[in-house]
Amino acid sequence: MILHGIDMEVTRLGAGQPVVLLHGFQQIDPEARFLHLLSQRAEIIAPSHPGFGRSARPKDFETIYDLTNLYAAFLNALPFEKVTLVGFSFGGWLAAELAVRSHHKIARLALVDTVGIKISDRETPDITDIFNTHPDEVTRRTWHDPANAPDFNAMSDEALIMRHRNWESLSRYAWHPYMHNPRLAFWLPRIDVPTRVLWGASDRIVRPSYGQAFAGLIPGADFTVIDQAGHQPEIEQPDVFVDHLSAFL
Amino acid sequence: MDAWWQCEIPYPFVDKAITDAADSVRASLPNQLCDPRIAATLFDEVLDEFLLCDDLGMNVIAIEHHAGINSLIGANPMVTSLLARQTRNVRVLSLGTLVSLRPDPVRVAEEYATADILAKGRFDIGFVKSGGTEMASSNINPVNNEERYWEAIDLIKKALTTHDGPFSWEGKHFSHRHVNIWPRPYQDPHPPMWAATGDPSSSAEVGRRGMRHVLVLRGPEGTKRAYDAHRQARAAAGLPKVTTDNFAYAALVYVGDTEDEGIEVGSKLLWFLNTSLKSAPQFNKFLPGAAPPVAAPGLYRTQPKPDAGLALVDAEKGVAPASRNAEKLISITAPEAMAQGILFAGNPDSVYRQIMQFYDKVGGFGHLALVGRSGYMTHAESTKSIRLFTKEVLPRLKEIGPVEVG
Repeated sequence: MILHGIDMEVTRLGAGQPVVLLHGFQQIDPEARFLHLLSQRAEIIAPSHPGFGRSARPKDFETIYDLTNLYAAFLNALPFEKVTLVGFSFGGWLAAELAVRSHHKIARLALVDTVGIKISDRETPDITDIFNTHPDEVTRRTWHDPANAPDFNAMSDEALIMRHRNWESLSRYAWHPYMHNPRLAFWLPRIDVPTRVLWGASDRIVRPSYGQAFAGLIPGADFTVIDQAGHQPEIEQPDVFVDHLSAFL
Repeated sequence: MDAWWQCEIPYPFVDKAITDAADSVRASLPNQLCDPRIAATLFDEVLDEFLLCDDLGMNVIAIEHHAGINSLIGANPMVTSLLARQTRNVRVLSLGTLVSLRPDPVRVAEEYATADILAKGRFDIGFVKSGGTEMASSNINPVNNEERYWEAIDLIKKALTTHDGPFSWEGKHFSHRHVNIWPRPYQDPHPPMWAATGDPSSSAEVGRRGMRHVLVLRGPEGTKRAYDAHRQARAAAGLPKVTTDNFAYAALVYVGDTEDEGIEVGSKLLWFLNTSLKSAPQFNKFLPGAAPPVAAPGLYRTQPKPDAGLALVDAEKGVAPASRNAEKLISITAPEAMAQGILFAGNPDSVYRQIMQFYDKVGGFGHLALVGRSGYMTHAESTKSIRLFTKEVLPRLKEIGPVEVG
């Protein structure tokens, strides 16, 4: 899909209500079990952010402002009156930025282990600094069961190259202010669509207490913890995750 | 050829058990491990060594590194200003305040103009790209570091050379709408500018800009490749040929009375490589932007994959991260370091010979930067080498004039 001159990779599958997925630190894996479970009940549209997956990234396109404008245009370009917008982790931040602007295409909002706001005091980080923390520790904090972490030795060259490009792109967008917009929390109460916040009980990248506080700033949002899952409940508990999401559609 | 002396003022006095256990000796070691009284003694000794260089006719360099045992000079402008005033004879090079880490290049231009005034024109400005752990300790987005570096240099140069200001600057990384520094620099149009970099693309940029190009501990192949990129970029841009005066090389250097003494004491300089380069994977191979995506298979896999063709990228092609260079250096021994042109050590004749062998291998250079003290080397040992080098080696180097290189 070419949007505003940007060649974007978009994974599409399934039939039913339209659901747009905005991915987190890595693009959506088309083989992921949760995707196939969800595709039995919904029509999935999953773009890769510019600089992630196979999506191009224009020169100097490196801010949340760029991404928010791009996804506003992306939603407008979809042939649906309304969609459910689902944001995972970093993509949850983008989804929240769109929702506070009352984008007319958003019918419902689901946020999964999202980042994007500052909750605690200035000396207490809410979000693990994944760039400045040892990768082994990041793995421990990401997964309920570290055995679910990707095995780099088993991955193809292409997948590893993509992963490293994703990492570089994530740093462009989210290095500073780190993984959040200092003003977003002030605006979250403007979100005026039904909102569901889902969280992995074992997430230590962003803890469930952060998710609860995030949900508390959105009028009427509900908050659900998924057991035996870390930062990516959609990967570690795909069936439970899809049940929670489907019930919301 | 001219010579320049430097000491990074490292802080080696941390238990080996602690540095062995730490995943990084930079950025993350708590500063409770740094005794301020020892730090004060180190600064005192090294500043005296700089002043001895001034007495004996060797130029001096103040470097900058942050938050680690490798160097206590995190605040380069402070050491630069001391040297600018306390020396009376030689040139002072700031190599340099790390401009891509500084939020306001205009403030850097003010500091450098002031240093040039203090030194009455005996001042050179050096630009170093930084990287690795310093991205964390300075809170700087690593993927844009090089862009910030060049934009900062552009703005600093304009601030130093604009005399009918104020002017406005609204760039990608820096915005300053009313630039008009006082004092202006002593030298006209500005102090000589150096850049320390080794990869081919930024070496080419250094060449096009006509800056003095310094390579640090790169060995003959990497140094020659960078100098060549510098010269070729000038030729491709239709710019005039330069002389060896545009090229500089920094090595570990120690001169003793005898060959054995020179090598034995000089080996203490390897502490810098063996101990102070250790940094955690998030600060080197996984630092965003440090290695291109194509290098990923070699970075992520812990076991090589037999059919991993794309993993065969290497430092020689300029695509491996600086960490790959660091890995090679951490385990280096004195004979290896001498064979690779990283350490010049021995008696005066031998050190002169080693320098000239390196000179011939890389096609000539006009400036030698001596990393003259590091690790556990004592003040007395350092002082001895400074005296021997300036008496026995430097006069011979000074006879080598600039040569045009194309």
